[in-house]
Parts: sequence; C-alpha cells; structure tokens
Amino acid sequence: MKLIFAGILAGLMATTAAKADEMVFTSWGGTTQEAQTKSWAEPFSASSGIKVLQDGPTDYGKLKAMVDAKNVTWDVVDVEMDFAIKAAKDGLLEPIDFAVVPKADLDPRFSNENAVGSFYYSFVLAWNKGAVSGEPASWADMFDTKKFPGKRTFYKWSAPGVIEIALLADGVPADKLYPLDLDRAFKKLDTIKSDIVWWGGGAESQQLIASGEAAFGQLWNGRVFALEKDGADVGVSWNQNLTAADVLVVPKGAKNKDAAMKFLAAATSPTGQAKFAEASGYAPINTKAKAEMPAEVVKGLPDAHVESQINLDMNYWAEHRDEIATRWYAWQAK
Amino acid sequence: MSVEAQQGIATPRIPAGLGGLLPALMLIGLFFVVPVLALLLRSVTDPAPGLQNYAALLGDGTYARVFFNTFLVAAVVTIVTVLVAFPVAWMLAIMPPALASILFGIIILSMWTNLLTRTYAWMVLLQRTGVINRALMGAGIIDQPLPLINNLTGVTIGMVYIMLPFMILPLVGTLRAIDPMTLRAAALCGASPLAAFRRILLPLSLPGIAAGGLMVFVMSLGYFVTPALLGGTSNMMLAEMIAQMIQSLLNWGLGSAAAFVLLVVTMALYALQLRLVGARRTTGGA
Repeated sequence: MKLIFAGILAGLMATTAAKADEMVFTSWGGTTQEAQTKSWAEPFSASSGIKVLQDGPTDYGKLKAMVDAKNVTWDVVDVEMDFAIKAAKDGLLEPIDFAVVPKADLDPRFSNENAVGSFYYSFVLAWNKGAVSGEPASWADMFDTKKFPGKRTFYKWSAPGVIEIALLADGVPADKLYPLDLDRAFKKLDTIKSDIVWWGGGAESQQLIASGEAAFGQLWNGRVFALEKDGADVGVSWNQNLTAADVLVVPKGAKNKDAAMKFLAAATSPTGQAKFAEASGYAPINTKAKAEMPAEVVKGLPDAHVESQINLDMNYWAEHRDEIATRWYAWQAK
Repeated sequence: MSVEAQQGIATPRIPAGLGGLLPALMLIGLFFVVPVLALLLRSVTDPAPGLQNYAALLGDGTYARVFFNTFLVAAVVTIVTVLVAFPVAWMLAIMPPALASILFGIIILSMWTNLLTRTYAWMVLLQRTGVINRALMGAGIIDQPLPLINNLTGVTIGMVYIMLPFMILPLVGTLRAIDPMTLRAAALCGASPLAAFRRILLPLSLPGIAAGGLMVFVMSLGYFVTPALLGGTSNMMLAEMIAQMIQSLLNWGLGSAAAFVLLVVTMALYALQLRLVGARRTTGGA
C-alpha cells in the first residue's frame, strides 16, 4: 500500500522523464538556476551531446517519494548540504563516482562520498541605506532595537544560520558555538521577536530590503550582490559572515547515472565554477576556479572575507536537524 | 446506426443500480478512498507500527495551537465572507438580469486569475510600505503604518477575497428563488425593513448561507498559499505545518497523521452541519 501511494505520487510528478542521451537537473529556480543552466548545462550539452532538461524547484519530499517508489526522474539535484548528509544516511543518494568526477581540487569542506559542492555562500548582514541611520556592524546590532529601530528580516525555515546569529549576538565566541545552546538562542530571539519579518525565499528577502519593508536582515550574499548590481541602495557587512553550502547529489536509482556523473564533473570543474560564481556572486567550491575569474568578481566573493568568516557546522545540523526543527517551529508558532 | 441502438441511448435498459454506477464508484475508490486509506496506513506505520504519531500530535502544545489557529482562521474567514457576500448576492439577485450577468462575469473573472498573483497583489497593498499605509499616512490619518500583514488581519483579508465567489454563487441562487412578494407582504403587514430581513429573508436564505459557508469553511481549513504569504509564523495553519513535515522534515508519518486528523474533524463538522440544517436544504441551495 505504501508503494502504491508513493507510486501514484511519483507517477504524477514524472513530468520530465529523460531519454538515453538526456538527463534532468533540478535546482531552486530563479536567478540561481538560470546561472547554473548557462554556466554548466549549456556548455556541457555542447561538448558531450547530452541534453540537460531543467526541472524544479528542489523538493525533498518529492525526492524521497521518487526513491521510495523506485521511479526516479531527477538525475542531479541541488540540495542544502545538511540535507545531503542526512539523506545519505537514509539511503536516498547514490555514491559519487570519483573516477569520473575529479576530486583533487574540490574544497573538502563541501564534498563527501555522496555529494559534491555546488557553490558556497555566506549569510551576511545587509541593510537599506534609506531606512537605517548609521551602519550596523555586527549581528549584535540586529538585536539592538534602540540603536537600530525597524523591522529586521531573517530566514524563515529551520536551517543553519539564525540560531548561530542569535548566539553570536549574545556573546558566544565563534569557536564555542557547537553544540548549539538552543535555550539561550531562543531566549535571545525572544527579545526581538515582534520586530522580525521572515523571508521564505531569496526573492522575498530582496524585496523586503529593497522596499525598506525591513530595514535590515540576514541575506544570502548572492542576493545582496544582485541587489547591488541592480543599483539598489544597500549596505552590507561581512563581519562574522556565516558560510553554508549547496551540494549536488544523485538520487538513489537515478536513470541516467552515467550522464549525471559526467555532468557533475563539468559543474565542479574550475571553468564551470568560475563562470557560475561570476554570474551569481556565490563562491566556487573548486580551489582552482579563482584563477579563471576577473579580479573584481573575486573581491566580491565570500572568499575575500575569510578572516571574519565562520563555518556553519553541517555535520552537527545533519545530526540534529529534526530536533532543532521541532523546537524552531514550536517557537515560531508561539 | 440501427433504431434499436438509438433507443438504447435514449432510454438505457440497465437499471440505475450498482452496474451503472460502477465506473463512478471505481473512480471514487481509486482516486479518493485508496489514497485516504494509504494515508491512514502510513500514519500508523511510519516510522514504526503504532500510534506514536497521533500521541506526538495530540500531546504537543504547538500542534494544538496550530489546530486552533486553523479553525480560528477558517471561522473568521467564513463569518466575514458571509457578511460581505450577502449584500452583493442580494444586489445581484434583484438587479436586472443583463446587468447582473456583467457583474457575475467580473466576480468569476477574479477566480480565473492566478491565486499567487492575487496574493502577491495583496502583499503590495497591505505591507508597511504598501499602497494603503502610504495613502493613509500621506493623508495624515495615521502616523505609524497599520499592521495589516503578517498577522490574522492579512490572512483574513486575503482569504475572504479569494472565497467570496464561492459564497456569492450559491447565495444568489437561493435569493433568486425567494418570491419577492413575501417581502412585500411583510411590509404590507407592517413589518419594518429590519424585521422583514430578520424574519423573512434571512430564514429563507439560510440554505444558501449554509451551503456557501460550509464550502468556504472547509476550503479555508486546507488553505496554504495565502496564510503562508500574508500571515505571520504565529498564524501558521495546518496545511503549512503538514507541508513542512512532508517536504522539509521528511516526517511522512507525522504529516499523514496530521492530515488524517484534519480530515476526520472536517467530516465531523460536515456531519454536524447536515444534522443542523438538513441534507436536502444544504445541497439544494446552489
């Protein structure tokens, strides 16, 4: 019965089943997937003759349904790294074939047996210059409603980031963040709860800051990069910028595994990573990519701010994902 | 084609019993009963056999609050929708048919516009820097923006707007069926307009209100997009919570249990309403 149910689900979703010389790439849509298409899929199709069909947005429930029903229509999926670690444990992912995908130059922080880095990003503090007087300089300032009045926007979903920001703002040293003190984090978040506007997706975060609906917030650096490119009057602080990564995975039982591995090799190559970083403002996960990028683009990447950088602990999050999420949503709903 | 065959089409010889109903029953079975049973099964088997998913749902204050929110929002939306829809429906019922059909078209047109587009439009109108707040502040009526979004107000406004056609349509049907002479008779007998409304029009239009109200209430219970975009996290409704459980936590057992509880409560309410209003009057409204 379980199978029937999952089968019906997956059957309904199987809108883009790929043929022999095709494969399906799934990502989050928007400007990010556009950049991935241009930087990875199009050159890869031109050189290999394998057509890359685009699907999206990434949906972990769909991914699980496909694998459970043994009817997998996605071949490469862009997912958050903490999910990838958990999904690998649950047996939802194929191992990466490192005979096809060169491993030597990949940043070891963002690759493992079942996933290779897609790109990495930082959460940065961004603000609308018209709506804020002065310059917020640290996460602590986002909790100081006297010095910096106005709405602040944070990422809505339970994910690495906001808990760490609250703890840093409360004075926890960066090297003492883990294991996360959830009680302390929620207590700190309580102090500004009524001033928080949540953003659920990248476009929403841009809209909130650009319109001044929120004076400042925690944004993905690529989204701030895009705002600046569009000429929005935004400021950004890289102090204590928090890194997290998206990774590329192959769902267990993917129909075009060979094509998928070749695609991963192209996507993680220095050239693929350099082109994507240039288009998106997110950082490359191939250490050789920077050599192929214009100097002014390199300056704008999280890589240029490593001295003030803190790595969010993906393994910790993968381990405690459910437990933190339960408390997170309970706290939000209060 | 033979005469016999034509007659066969005109007057089916098969009695309208189980045989004739078989295709319809199979459709309902395959697409409605089987999935619901699968849902029920998953809720008591995933991750392990037992009732632990239900225990988790009913024993946790958060889920209780989300359930409460869901029914509160659905109730508020239903009441406001009835209050707004009734005058519109009455106007449509008594105005010349040609004009009424134009207005009908406008109301239906809104149903054909993408739901997400309409919800985003409300965001632009309602937010702190939105059209409404800017206009009111510009006119000097308020000096601080009104909190119209990310709360119950925002959810109610957005959802009432979407639900209005579902209330207006059955209501117009009921109101049109009311003989206008009854109101004239009431007036002739000395009833004030208010008394005529309360004692004649309202009781006679009750089946339409009940039919539309039930539809709006049940649809509101399962609503996702509008509360997610116009509400705050403290207004989270069950559909959003279920989506979280299924999509991001991959806790399908708990999600199934939550969906099944919602289904049972909704059906119980439906049964209750059938008893209160009467099955024939409810379905006869539209």
